[in-house]
This record gives sequence, structure tokens and C-alpha cells, in this order.
Amino acid sequence: MTASPGPSAAGLAAFEPKILGFLCTWCSYTGADLAGTARLHYPSNLRAVRVPCSGRVAPELILRAFDQGADGVLVLGCHIGECHYDNGNHRTAKRVPVLKALLSFAGLEPERLRLDWVSASEGERFARLVGEFTEALRLLGPCTWRASAPPLPASLTWVGIPPGADPAPGGAV
Amino acid sequence: MSHTASIRAKARELLESGDVTCVIGYEVGPRGWTRPAFIENPEEVGRLVWNQACTHNLTTYLPGRLRPGKNKEPAKPVAVVVKACDSRAIQVLLAENQFTRDQVFVIGVVCPGILSGAERQAIPEDGPQDGAPLQARCRRCPERVPVVSDTLIGELVAPPTAIAEEDELSRLSGLNPEQRLAYWLEQFDRCLRCYACRQACPMCNCPTCLFERDDSLWLGMGTGLNEKRAFHLGRAYHLAGRCVGCDECERVCPMNIPISHLNRMLAKEVEAAFGYRAGLAPVPGPLVTVIDRGEGRP
Repeated sequence: MTASPGPSAAGLAAFEPKILGFLCTWCSYTGADLAGTARLHYPSNLRAVRVPCSGRVAPELILRAFDQGADGVLVLGCHIGECHYDNGNHRTAKRVPVLKALLSFAGLEPERLRLDWVSASEGERFARLVGEFTEALRLLGPCTWRASAPPLPASLTWVGIPPGADPAPGGAV
Repeated sequence: MSHTASIRAKARELLESGDVTCVIGYEVGPRGWTRPAFIENPEEVGRLVWNQACTHNLTTYLPGRLRPGKNKEPAKPVAVVVKACDSRAIQVLLAENQFTRDQVFVIGVVCPGILSGAERQAIPEDGPQDGAPLQARCRRCPERVPVVSDTLIGELVAPPTAIAEEDELSRLSGLNPEQRLAYWLEQFDRCLRCYACRQACPMCNCPTCLFERDDSLWLGMGTGLNEKRAFHLGRAYHLAGRCVGCDECERVCPMNIPISHLNRMLAKEVEAAFGYRAGLAPVPGPLVTVIDRGEGRP
């Protein structure tokens, strides 16, 4: 087993990356299942989303994940030639590198998006990939991609009802 | 015969013979600005002009104009005046089955380059504008002759020798991720989500835009910085392998967001990865096809 058991063993700081994983139900999700039944350890930083095919992972979903504060996105599909739908992963294989180039140009570290292939029998590979990816993200540190909203001006901030004020102005009940 | 006279003669011939129902070209409006014109009557061909302010990409109007009717009968053919960059857009639209080749009569014009900001000035018809600056896209453009045309107006010319360098693009690529993030957030912060870029784009022809749906679970219509960035990056991504580099999106942007940098970067990326340039032939782009034997695998 090559996966890292966790941050305490590595002696790293408290930062735990949040990883969103899109797992193809026919291979990677089953591979993750196999990793579980084989009792392999892999970091719990991965939040798995089961998708019917890696070709289903629209670039907008990946963008959304980073916008919502993910530190990394892992897309796992079937090896080329093994797609349940014949060529769904061909599209992923072409699109994700282009999306990575775009996100990198817009200021995201390209290492935060990763595409790889895991078949249903590769539980060990799944655990190793997740471990490697988590380690890489720990070294990168928190993601700064998400833009925080500017604070509302004071005129728009709710300060509560001043004491003594009529709670229902205009006589409404 | 000047370009203007040639275009008028061709338009009159097409409309009188009934080959097309409409000629989409350029006219000079009452304030002297050059603008798109839709000529459906042979008596009105005198409105058509050609000058170095004809910046608009008129192929934008084709998908809507040539969409099949309610009982699926094909739309009547139209003619359109195109420059070299616009003609590439026709090839992409043909590859995407937006219309058939016989539905559009292409009046290609050999383009001397379009002047910067010229559509907002009175330009003398066919007058040479020596010394006036060309638009950035025209300084970069290696082509002058449309790649597809049914009739070609103007003499064939050699492509320009001096091509401007991609200064800004290489500067941005040289920055580190934090600097690039800050740069783009500053640019996208100005966006109003007016969708002018989308409306001007010939490739943005979805009947319902993904970014303008109010029932979407994962794309917002909001004007927060994250949503605005998702819109621009998503739109740039949808144009990857399709954008022909007419840079109309950037020209129409009221907030001067350098959208074309994203499109050009992706065009370079697609060319490097797949050896494909959009619009040179009516074939589908590499991002919508399966992996070919000759293509590399990740």
C-alpha cells in the first residue's frame, strides 16, 4: 500500500484540502468500491460524485467546484478503449486538458485539476492516485481561486429593529 | 470598378434573379457610421457600401436567419458579404450544420484590414486610409482573401509580411498564477453581463444560452464575481476549437474586457494539441470528435 494514511503521520500542518472527485460509475466508482472492500486506506479528503461517464463531467461543473471553494478536482474515467459508451472518455481526454490550460491561464494552478484513468479492478491504483493528489494539494496550500464578495455597504446591512420602533409600520399585522 | 460598385451590382443581380431573398451587407447610417444592412429589394442596393470601417461579422445573422421554419421547411437562401475572418466563421457554421452550403451565397471581399474604431467615424467610400491604425486583429491577421466565397470582389493579394507579435498574450503567460488570477479578476469585475459579446459572436447561436437559464443548478445568472468569471471562462471554453478570431466580442464589450486573449490562448492551445485551426475547412473541431489514430493520448 502506497497511500498516505493521513496528515498526522506526515506531520504536516492542519490544512486539509477539499477534493471533489467525479468518478465514472462503470470503472472508477467500482474501483473505489474495490479499494474499500480490499480495506485499502486512502485520504478522506475526496468527496466522490458518481457520474454515468467521465464524458458527463461538463466543464461548467468543474468551474463550479472551484468557484464553490474546492481545492482540487479529480476526474476519473475508464481507460481509453474501455468506455461503457464506447467513446465518452475520448471527449473527456480531449476536453479536460484544454480546460486545464484555460483555468491555468485564468490563474489557477494547473495541478489542482487532474484527469486520470482507473478501471474497475484497479482499487490499489485508485487509492494511490487519491493519496498522491491529496499530498500534491497539501503542498500547494489552500486554493485562492474563489473570489470573496466585497462587503455590503452599511446602508444595505441589516442591523435589526431598533428598540422601541413599531415592528409593523403601516399598521400591517 | 470599386468594391462598393461590385457589391451593389452583384446584390442587384442576385435579388432580381430571385436566387436570394436578402443580401446582408454594410451601409453607412445617417450619422456616417458604418453598420449592417439587410437588403431585400433590388431598388435598395444603392445603400450597400464597402469601406475600411466594415468591422461587423455579418455571419452572426446567418444561423437565426436560416433556421428551418415551424414545419421544418428550409429557409430561403440569403447572400452575405464577408471578409477573410468572417468566411472562416461560415466554415465553422457549415461544419456544425447550422445551414447548408446552398442556403448561403458568399460575397467574399479581399480585405485590406479594418481601421481601429472606424465604425464610429465617417469613412469616405472606398477611400484609402493611409496612416490610420488597423485593428489589432488585422495587424495579427495572416490572411486577406476569404477561404470560402461564391464570388470574390477585389484582386488577389499576397498575405501581409509583417505580423504583429502577441505581446499581451505572452506577457500574461509569463506571469505567475497569483498575478494572472488578480489580472483576470480585475477584468471580469467590470463585466455587466450585458451579453453583448455573446450576441456579436457567430458561434454563440444556442437558442437558449446555458448562462442565461434561470433554472440552472450550477450556473448562475448572478452578477457576483464568481458567476461573471464562470460566464466568461465557460463561454471561452465553448468557443475552444470554434473561435475564428474575428474579435467582435472584444470590440462590442462596453467595459473593454480583453475577451479575445482567452479565445486566442485557447485557439493556440487547440492548434498545439490537435493541429487544428478553426474555419479553414468545414470539418468538426477536435473537441467534439473521438480520438483519432493520429492524435496523441493524454
